[in-house]
Amino acid sequence: MKKLALAATTFALAVGTAHADSVLVLNSEEASYSILSRAGRIELSRLPVGREPHHLIPTPDGKEVIVASTATNELLVLDAKTGEKRRVVRDIIDPYHLGFSPNGKWFVTVAYRLDHVDIFHSDGFRLAGRIFIDGLPSHMTFDAESQTVFVSLQQSGRLAAFDLATQTLKWNVPIGNTPAGVLMLPDNKRLLVALTGEDGVVVVDPKDGSISGKLQTGKGAHNFWPKGDGRHWFLSNRVEGTVSIVDTQDLKVVGTIKVPGGPDCMDITADGKELWVTQRFLRRVAVVDLEQLKVVASIPVGKSPHGVFMLKSAAAGPVAPISPAGGPVRAVSTAPGSR
Amino acid sequence: MRELTDLWVGTQNWLFETFVGPLLFGIGQMAWYEPGYSAVEFVMVGAVQILVIAIGMRFFERRWPLERAGDDRLVSVDRVYTLLNKLGILPLAIFIVTYPLTQEIELGMRSWGYAPPRLERLLPWLGDNVLASFLVYFVLYDFAAYWLHRAQHAFPWWWALHSLHHSQRRMTVWADDRNHVVDDLLITLALVLFAQVVGVQPGEYVVILTVGRLIESWSHANVDMSFGRVGERLIVGPRFHRLHHALASAEERHIHDHNYAPVFPIWDILFGTAIYDGKIRPTGVDDPVIDADNGRGWIVQQVTVFGRFVRALTPRFMRAPFQSGLRPPAE
Repeated sequence: MKKLALAATTFALAVGTAHADSVLVLNSEEASYSILSRAGRIELSRLPVGREPHHLIPTPDGKEVIVASTATNELLVLDAKTGEKRRVVRDIIDPYHLGFSPNGKWFVTVAYRLDHVDIFHSDGFRLAGRIFIDGLPSHMTFDAESQTVFVSLQQSGRLAAFDLATQTLKWNVPIGNTPAGVLMLPDNKRLLVALTGEDGVVVVDPKDGSISGKLQTGKGAHNFWPKGDGRHWFLSNRVEGTVSIVDTQDLKVVGTIKVPGGPDCMDITADGKELWVTQRFLRRVAVVDLEQLKVVASIPVGKSPHGVFMLKSAAAGPVAPISPAGGPVRAVSTAPGSR
Repeated sequence: MRELTDLWVGTQNWLFETFVGPLLFGIGQMAWYEPGYSAVEFVMVGAVQILVIAIGMRFFERRWPLERAGDDRLVSVDRVYTLLNKLGILPLAIFIVTYPLTQEIELGMRSWGYAPPRLERLLPWLGDNVLASFLVYFVLYDFAAYWLHRAQHAFPWWWALHSLHHSQRRMTVWADDRNHVVDDLLITLALVLFAQVVGVQPGEYVVILTVGRLIESWSHANVDMSFGRVGERLIVGPRFHRLHHALASAEERHIHDHNYAPVFPIWDILFGTAIYDGKIRPTGVDDPVIDADNGRGWIVQQVTVFGRFVRALTPRFMRAPFQSGLRPPAE
């Protein structure tokens, strides 16, 4: 009996510790999400969630994390500290990628397979407008004033800008082969767009979509994640099997980390020591030591892991909302991965 | 289990990153990057199935054959069917043809706000049990396959296609894939749509296909073996399915209208089409036009059976007087 009590206590402590130091991963082809222990480097649990869950984002107050369940037309709202399910928001059609505007007023989803962009009032997820646009809308970012959302169109190779207040198209221009992750830089004057069908990113003027530069990073450039210093961003290169560290001020690659298995979405630990990267093809999540710049662990999860998110321990403080400036970030990239 | 998964996924990843991924990147088709990765798994599953059939199942056929006499040359074309199917060549062609339609239907439903519910929403306990969830979806999938199989026998135009599968006089583990490509296309289309409606996940679909098709290959085996009295009522085995391929006789004109189930005999038991009499019967079709499929190669079979199919679709008053092979011989 004593042994049983001891085991129960140990388990409770382990779970409690894990929840204070855990990572959430969406298994997009298993309709489930995994909760991992950061310190233990193991999967603690795997829970059912919708169908084809690809991307996630924390709410502006940082208390909840929203998972887009693409094929069930719904959002699953989880507790941002524990990963436990709180509620379901239904009738959000084909929500693939999602994001809040910096002022928290607008909530946007892109319907990757149904070719439309939905702009909601974030208060109550009330649909303000739906704009149909061809070409597989996939990723988004916002300007600092929360006036415009920029959406990449993977199949047509274009980038489109939409006015949030009027829900109208501002411009739609060719940008390159299979654009995916989009990032507004801290100066609010340059956009970076990752070209998955090519080997790098292009620099784009947010006013009219004109291209002013290009940076080679690796084949299958896909997705951004802020390092947190407002200057450096990580960029996954899916075909190359690497993560580039991009200095956005000088526009150059200052480091490359080998991450096999089609690296996609990323998140950084609160202490800035580790980058966690989903390895879509290997059914694992890689842990990158940012001092050594190499993978130090690879943790098995479910099939085709996509979105990844550091659950917030009480000690880590509240989550800052997404900042296009990439702030002293605990922000979630608005561009975590795509297909 | 983890080591096995790592070996499997590692192989899939290596094949993809070495061959398929660079090809898709090179030809500018990165929108197909994820489906390309799934296709590699499909081919790997097929290769494993071929190994299991060629090494495992064939061992039992050699060791405990049911029919010792017979023309083994009739079997060679069935091996061609198996290779074309299991290695993904025919499924790829079928995918290309059916993809626009299945996408149109699925996306049309979703754009109207209809999302097929996962069963877990109705039965939450299923979500906590991976094995139970898989079995429930497997049973549902097999239920659909049972009724599709009955339809293959019920409609003259569909029988014109499906009769190719039944024409084999020499049943072996290779016989399961012996189907006309149009028949394969129709069945695939129906089952994919059904899987979408009930919410089968892509990962589950792969496992269901892998396990299901292996059981179906085994059910065509030329072996004198049984799962036992209880086992034969749980899983379809060679004795049960051989009756479905039985040659009709004057006494048993409708014998092949029984034992339809692909994997779970429960459907035949429930719907009154099960026969467990233990008799060993010769196999094939008692129609000379259909029986002539034996001895033909893959291309000739495909062409002649397509001709039967077209004739079956032709209005009765426009048909030539010769009508053989248009209906199940028992009718």
